[in-house]
Amino acid sequence: MKSNVFSSPVFKRLLACLALGFALAIMVGPQQGTQQDYGLAFRQAVFAPRIFLFLGIGLLVFVLVTYWSKITPYFHRSGVAPLAVGLVTVVAAQTLLKWHDPTGDGKFHTVSDAAVNIDGLAPLAQVYFSWLAWPLLFVTVLLAGSAIVLEKRPIAWGAAVLAIAGAFIAPVAQSAYAATTTRIDHSLGAGSAVSGYLVLLGAAVTIAMSKQESADTKAFFGRVLTWRPGLPLAVLGLIVGTLGLASATWFSPSKTNATLTDTATFFTGKGLAPIAEAYLSFLGFILFGLTLIAAAAATYLRNKIVGWVAFALGLVSLYLTLNTMYLFSSAGASLKIDQASGPWQNLGSGGWMASAAFFLFAGAGFVVATADWKKAKTIIVNGLKVAAPKSSDHGGLFGNATATKTLLLVVFAAALFYPPTATSFWQAVLVTQIGIYVLLAIGLNVVVGWAGLLDLGFIAFYAIGSYATAYLVGSLPIKPPWGVISPMLAIPFAIAICLVAGVLLGGPTLRLRGDYLAIVTLGFGEIVRIVAINADGVTNSTRGPSPQVPHPVIDLGFIRFEFGLNQLQYWYLLLIIIVIVVVLFRALEESRTGRAWAAVREDEIAAQASGVNTFRIKLLAFAIGASTSGLAGVFFASDVGFFTPDNFILNNSILVVAYVVFGGMGSLPGAMAGAAVLTWLPEFLKDQVPAEDRQMWIGAVVLLMMIFRPGGLIPAKRRAAELHGYDIDEPLEGSAVPAGEGMGAKS
Amino acid sequence: MTSLSKEGNELAPDQSMVDIRDVIYDVSDVTLRFGGVTSLNNISLKMYRGEILAIIGPNGAGKTSLFNSLTGVYTPQEGTINLAARVGDSPSSVLGKKTHIINHLGVARTFQNIRLFPALTALENIKVGIETRMKASPVESMLHLPRARREEKESTARAYELLREMGLTKRANDLAGSLAYGEQRRLEIARALGTDPGVILLDEPAAGTNPAEKRELADLIMRINKKDGISVLLIEHDMKLVMSIAHRLVVLNFGQKIAEGTPDQIQKNPAVIAAYLGSTDEEEVPA
Repeated sequence: MKSNVFSSPVFKRLLACLALGFALAIMVGPQQGTQQDYGLAFRQAVFAPRIFLFLGIGLLVFVLVTYWSKITPYFHRSGVAPLAVGLVTVVAAQTLLKWHDPTGDGKFHTVSDAAVNIDGLAPLAQVYFSWLAWPLLFVTVLLAGSAIVLEKRPIAWGAAVLAIAGAFIAPVAQSAYAATTTRIDHSLGAGSAVSGYLVLLGAAVTIAMSKQESADTKAFFGRVLTWRPGLPLAVLGLIVGTLGLASATWFSPSKTNATLTDTATFFTGKGLAPIAEAYLSFLGFILFGLTLIAAAAATYLRNKIVGWVAFALGLVSLYLTLNTMYLFSSAGASLKIDQASGPWQNLGSGGWMASAAFFLFAGAGFVVATADWKKAKTIIVNGLKVAAPKSSDHGGLFGNATATKTLLLVVFAAALFYPPTATSFWQAVLVTQIGIYVLLAIGLNVVVGWAGLLDLGFIAFYAIGSYATAYLVGSLPIKPPWGVISPMLAIPFAIAICLVAGVLLGGPTLRLRGDYLAIVTLGFGEIVRIVAINADGVTNSTRGPSPQVPHPVIDLGFIRFEFGLNQLQYWYLLLIIIVIVVVLFRALEESRTGRAWAAVREDEIAAQASGVNTFRIKLLAFAIGASTSGLAGVFFASDVGFFTPDNFILNNSILVVAYVVFGGMGSLPGAMAGAAVLTWLPEFLKDQVPAEDRQMWIGAVVLLMMIFRPGGLIPAKRRAAELHGYDIDEPLEGSAVPAGEGMGAKS
Repeated sequence: MTSLSKEGNELAPDQSMVDIRDVIYDVSDVTLRFGGVTSLNNISLKMYRGEILAIIGPNGAGKTSLFNSLTGVYTPQEGTINLAARVGDSPSSVLGKKTHIINHLGVARTFQNIRLFPALTALENIKVGIETRMKASPVESMLHLPRARREEKESTARAYELLREMGLTKRANDLAGSLAYGEQRRLEIARALGTDPGVILLDEPAAGTNPAEKRELADLIMRINKKDGISVLLIEHDMKLVMSIAHRLVVLNFGQKIAEGTPDQIQKNPAVIAAYLGSTDEEEVPA
């Protein structure tokens, strides 16, 4: 048979890639059109010069796929990983993040459009915003990249110089711009650009200095953490703290951006408490210096006592920072600045950044103080020294205990101190979308990820939890005979009700396997929703609970806290709930119950033959998942106050499954990360693409994920083994399509 | 008949172990059908405390069906199966009981095609078996209450003990799926032993192993039988192995029991020879 160029796999791949570019061209754009003009968006997308840009992207993908095997060896050269991270960070800073908050969307491009027309703006800022920013980035990356390919060190030093320039210019230009406007500035763009450029600097230095042929970034971090355990946290704290103390906004009298020193000047002689006044004028800097020295000394000396000193100093400084913010914002409120009605208003991001820095320093001290220097653990069993048992489920992300602690502390720093600087819109998204769905994903992960039962009606338990709360607090047409209780007290009851509901559904249905169970649970989800619509006398149908579910109140006798409309309060409550649930579930996963779940999922027959009561253990997974969902329901009901059966549609059940699969089935951090990313993405895309296109972009992200990383964002080791054979030293990524098929196929 | 010749006398089974007054499995007149196919036809047999009883027969003879009937996977349509797995148990019927209940009564088994939990470590595989005998509730586990902690320690210690007995100590933290074939076989036996059985059912434990591994396996089975006092019911095709370790044999063919007796008796039994080599009548039919 004669081989034909048009039927060769390479040609087909080229066509496919060009089609991809075409599809992208249609997806990206304003998509305007009227009912009289059906083809406008299509013509705008296709019959314009920009189509060549997108076909070029398709061609690039084709070249990448075809020559992938020639490109990959370069990936293992020193400095590639930080180069990629730095590039992505700076690109994200210049496309996604805000460079000046009050100007509508405030993103880099709007700022750069505006900056051109400002007279008297510093020339450096003008140059940076008008044209320098992008070329600076690309030349830096290009130099570093060619230094890697050509192995020429001087080029890498050139890239390093440019990276330093970038790290210097970005904040200078941004503050020059912010100084010309008169509104409070919360922007994070410049700060992110600085950290991106610093990573690029690190990459360039690595390229210039490295003597190794190849580099293993993960092993490198592992070595760094064994060498000086607190180093990453201390460095991060230094960067965040310096930015916070030197350039970030602390307060906004008359909508201006007052840095720490400006705030000190502003409050001089206005009757501020002495401790706060001292902090603002000099104590803050001194504390920062002292804590930094303590954290650095602890890291350098690897001394446990110094570590505890840094930990204590960091916590005291954190307290003083928060106290100062409380005091001067109350003082601002009593002076009626910007209509402030109480403390914690009109604060900028500076105080929170300083708090994060102190938290990170304390974390560095803590990590040093608790680091375990012994390499491998052994235990004595019956007089025999053997390797300590290692669970098969230590996630691939966490190499060792120190790395896990470091990562957790960074996540906590972000979770504690980022939300106050976000806008109220994002705070609401954080609580009612991200936070609640993270909790739901944690619950579903027990059912789908650990026990291997596909549940497509999971949202029904969320609905039951919400309605149970509404009933218990007296917001439904039928009232509880024993009188109403507060939403916080409703938590245990709602959990119990969902537990029972889980058992009632699971009892008859868990004899079914796989697909059949999925269909039955799907039906159950719909039944609950339709009952909620039709049982008017019980649920008030689509009109929702009336009166609204009251906000929670924490009343411990000596301390009383009433939740209001501020979403930030709910965020911290939710954070506490999530932490408790994660700690409990983590213990459960490592226990006999967790192992029995894995056994049932892996081989039900063998599990039975080993004495596992598979029905009971599956029912348990169902009930625990349901009760977590119920907990989320209580929280949701008391936060929003008002909901309808439309909040509990099938789509939401499927989305939760998608979050768990996307994040990594069976992996607790994975399920949480998956839910967080996929709930954040649609809200983020609201500003970026037309509303109708959002689902398409999310679909594209999920699709790419399943092709290139089928184990999920953070794959579970247990699952990874199923997908990729059992050689755990192999990379975790596998392929959703069998070898020899799909895009990577050899022609 | 070389394959049935008796060698390896050093492994000769010790008949004094067997106590014929104490019946573990009392199978009488069991018939198992799948639709029109009769898998087991009127089978009766007794298994005594302390013995190694082998079930042999050509492929499709119903050996695994019998195993599955004994462990509650299948429920025969006719007949009775009574079980008294542990010393001092009074006999109770197996029929209609769930597999895990029968396991709790003291019956452990392995599978013809190895069925481990491949994505759990070797240690965890054994712990799954051990922990089905433990009591800590999920709430106790979540809160690390004393009983959960104590049981966790006990199960780890016991699992290491079993790993050492099987010579798998070094593989404790490796995923079960990554073990070599012979190691997986031994791990499966260890998991079964972890459930503290009175009788263990081994379904072709020597399949796919080499001669050296077969000798080790024979030693292992004898050791389990003698040292731990666990009765063994064995399905095995390797005649040399079976004849050297079994106290008694039951021969199945086409779902029927065609012979029962000591290795010597079985080797001389004409029905068995016919079943294995084909009947002499058929061979002499002219072409």
